[in-house]
Amino acid sequence: MRIEIVLLILGMTAVTYLPRALPGVLVGKLKFGPRVKKFLRLIPYTAMAALIFPGVLNVDPANTWIVLIGAAVAALLGVLRLPVMASVLGAIGVNFLLYMLI
Amino acid sequence: MKAPTRKKQYLQGLRAGVPVIFGFVPVGIAYAIMARRAGFSVLETVYMSLSVFAGASQMMAVGLYVQGAGILAMILATFIINLRHVIMGTCIMEKMPPTRPWMRWLLGFGVTDEAFAIFTTEKREKRTPWYFLGLTAVTYASWVAGSAVGAVVSDLLPDILTASLGIALYAMFIGLLVPGLTRNGRLALLVVFTAVVNTFLSRVMDSNWALIVSTLASAALGVFFVDLGEETEEEGTQ
Repeated sequence: MRIEIVLLILGMTAVTYLPRALPGVLVGKLKFGPRVKKFLRLIPYTAMAALIFPGVLNVDPANTWIVLIGAAVAALLGVLRLPVMASVLGAIGVNFLLYMLI
Repeated sequence: MKAPTRKKQYLQGLRAGVPVIFGFVPVGIAYAIMARRAGFSVLETVYMSLSVFAGASQMMAVGLYVQGAGILAMILATFIINLRHVIMGTCIMEKMPPTRPWMRWLLGFGVTDEAFAIFTTEKREKRTPWYFLGLTAVTYASWVAGSAVGAVVSDLLPDILTASLGIALYAMFIGLLVPGLTRNGRLALLVVFTAVVNTFLSRVMDSNWALIVSTLASAALGVFFVDLGEETEEEGTQ
């Protein structure tokens, strides 16, 4: 392995690991009020919304409609309260069929 | 009620992580193919996945490498991409019973977008450190395995399959997010609002900062107009 790549990887490891591990070390020492707790409970919803959009629109820019149909299938299966696995496999399956057709 | 043993918690975490395999293996393969084309050796490609364990950052780094960027620039970009994990790590730790310091240092390694999404939507009684370790084991193994496969064989998967798997992680986020919204119109509205804000912000600023800003600002707004009810409302989907 080249030394510059090893240095790159070590540097990337440090700046990836520290932001991930720091909250675990600090959270035990902090006491959150009800407002902050509610804020933290909302973050999974807003973070996932932001992880999905606009990213899902850029999965396959040439065939955005296929990806959106897959996303709609995943959402529908979620509304039906099926396990997450159903959303994943359902979306992959429908997209596979649509890619076969075009 | 007797609490499940550590082993059982770990196995629950393993099982909950299975959907991630469909996303991480193909993305790992794609990353490794990019890395190999950028001039990374097989060993360097796999070592990066073993050590860094961050898909978006690794793809960005090998992309910048091809363009001749310096090491510091690549490390800085990685830092910016992963800053969001401070927020996600805080949510994960806040939703977990108190645990020993060494365990918290260990758990930090597994904080990815996907583990965050699965863990924070999980039922309260399942959200334990050992569950998170099981979850990390599956996500990490899929990431490293995908990278190793992609580093050795390129063009392994047919194009149609690769294209179809592109939806996998998004479908997982959607599948985790949607069940929590069906009985809470205001929360659903907040989610739509966040999606719109992030889509707009991503056009006017770096998308990593956009994600952080829209996540925090929307959650802050939600504190005032969304009713989450008691903790039980948060029951997960799995």
